[in-house]
Amino acid sequence: MATIGHNNLNAKLVLLGDMGAGKSSLVLRFVKGQFLEFQESTIGAAFFSQTLAVNDATVKFEIWDTAGQERYHSLAPMYYRGAAAAIIVYDITSTDSFSRAKKWVQELQKQGNPNMVMALAGNKADLEDKRKVTAEEARVYAEENGLFFMETSAKSAANVNEIFYEIAKRLPRAQPAQNPPGMVLVDRPAEGSRAASCCS
Amino acid sequence: MYGTQSKIDLALEYQSQIQILRPSIHSRRANLTVKFQDLYGFTVEGNVDDVNVLNEVREKVRERNRVWWALEASKGANWYLHSTNIGQGGGRALKSSLKLSSLANAITLKRLIRQGIPPVLRPKVWFSLSGAAKKKSTVPESYYDDLTKAVEGKVTAATRQIDHVRTDNNNNVFDIHEIWDWFSDHHLLWGLTLLAWFPLDLPRTFPGHPWLDTAEGHAALRRVLVGYSFRDSDVGYCQGLNYVAALLLLVMKTEEDAFWMLAVLLENVLVNDCYTNNLSGCHVEQRVFKDLLAKKCPRIATHLEAMEFDVSLVATEWFLCLFSKSLPSETTLRVWDVLFYEGAKVIFNVALAIFKMKEDELLLTHHVGEVISVLQRTTHHLFDPDDLLTVAFDKIGSMTSNTISKERKKQEPEVMKELDQRLRRLNSLNVNGK
Repeated sequence: MATIGHNNLNAKLVLLGDMGAGKSSLVLRFVKGQFLEFQESTIGAAFFSQTLAVNDATVKFEIWDTAGQERYHSLAPMYYRGAAAAIIVYDITSTDSFSRAKKWVQELQKQGNPNMVMALAGNKADLEDKRKVTAEEARVYAEENGLFFMETSAKSAANVNEIFYEIAKRLPRAQPAQNPPGMVLVDRPAEGSRAASCCS
Repeated sequence: MYGTQSKIDLALEYQSQIQILRPSIHSRRANLTVKFQDLYGFTVEGNVDDVNVLNEVREKVRERNRVWWALEASKGANWYLHSTNIGQGGGRALKSSLKLSSLANAITLKRLIRQGIPPVLRPKVWFSLSGAAKKKSTVPESYYDDLTKAVEGKVTAATRQIDHVRTDNNNNVFDIHEIWDWFSDHHLLWGLTLLAWFPLDLPRTFPGHPWLDTAEGHAALRRVLVGYSFRDSDVGYCQGLNYVAALLLLVMKTEEDAFWMLAVLLENVLVNDCYTNNLSGCHVEQRVFKDLLAKKCPRIATHLEAMEFDVSLVATEWFLCLFSKSLPSETTLRVWDVLFYEGAKVIFNVALAIFKMKEDELLLTHHVGEVISVLQRTTHHLFDPDDLLTVAFDKIGSMTSNTISKERKKQEPEVMKELDQRLRRLNSLNVNGK
């Protein structure tokens, strides 16, 4: 179900980050090539899929774009569980959103799939004159934590496709069978099934 | 797009092949996507059939109008206030001599409400039957005005989230040139004089709506949301409420009535803590929903479970926005008609109905993406509210508010335990991380 042949890969990808950082805008740019000045706020999460050709393989991303407001974080495990990749998004004009991003990284490191490919996206790179987080600071942080880092702009499209391509390239080609994307979504009351989940 | 094509996809493909072979006006019309405005001014995309359905709905609405006016004429204005409340809204103590007629009224009323309240009567009927009128009557007349005046200019966590102002660039969110540029880009130079601040979560609520997405609409929505965040600081502002409050404004017409409807919804109609802190109430509702799906639609539940598809992935938004982001406006409001009279169990009926309606298609899915696309296609095109409500109330089987309360009580401890564990894990993470 999850991995089809050698050349086709399905990968669950989750976007996490503070509200208004531009998660939905990044997805909209990547999936539809569009940008809206006012993107409807996401409630719960929204699902998208997009296929990329990387070298001789195709990667079909199943993207969960999550809600950013803090109280929604209790829903996040449902979306990142079993994810093969995550993009943690912050807004380069907000130090708060960068701190929030770091918290997401910690949570994923502890609770997420251990083979997860994690990308840090400093979004709104077009707002250079409002910048509060330097690229250098983010790069150092990303290196220390084993993430790859790019500054993106959903508005100008800068680095948007690139970040998804980079993730696609880094995905382990043969996904271990016991850990397919999309696995263990259900948080059932007790009953042993929870023991199989890596992060409930 | 997906490995396995659903029946619908195949049918569509077949249809498009026919079109190539023998193009007819009919098939070309059916495939033509048009943009049109629905009853509440929302722009919707659909094909010609959708437009026709919507016209039929308009005609049905006119018919409902006639029925309700005829009842007013025979039973007197506000007759529905004199009915024994058999739902959950605010009831009234009645003299025993009135009881029989009031019971008859109540039965008529329940049926009538399920058939839909005409949009012109909605503000009045909702306000009385939901208990909002009663709630408002317990405070001084000037409550809302005083509240909005008192909170004007105050900055709290809730207002920051509504306005999307960050603490670290609080004083310089947008400079005047940017505001000017934005308005020029949007051909809205006149708006410059109306706005002294530039909120962000407001234009993100139904963008493009002819009234909601104007300076006046944003300001009204902001006052309702900020006002409520001060009334109940536990709820404060929760994303999702922006959509709910926006629709309430469209229906109720006045800000103050929309505010009281929001209050009665959060304080009396819905289960507690749906929107507070860690959305614990919403987590409980999701578990109850999963159990109900397994009981009422066992084949779907088994199929989705085998696929490792958690229904909360899609149902969370339905419960938090009360379908306002997924169903066409009149369909959403028909759900709300019943919600305000019969209570929160209605959300379960409707959510189950969405699955039930597409049972055959859902059983053919093999992948998360397919499930979601079936459900989205279904909800977005439910222009005829009766299609949905007939299933919700006639085909799901009865569920009383009582059974659902019991289910909630059963799920609560486990939810609280899990949320608590998660919090503790995260806190220990922060300590180690620093």
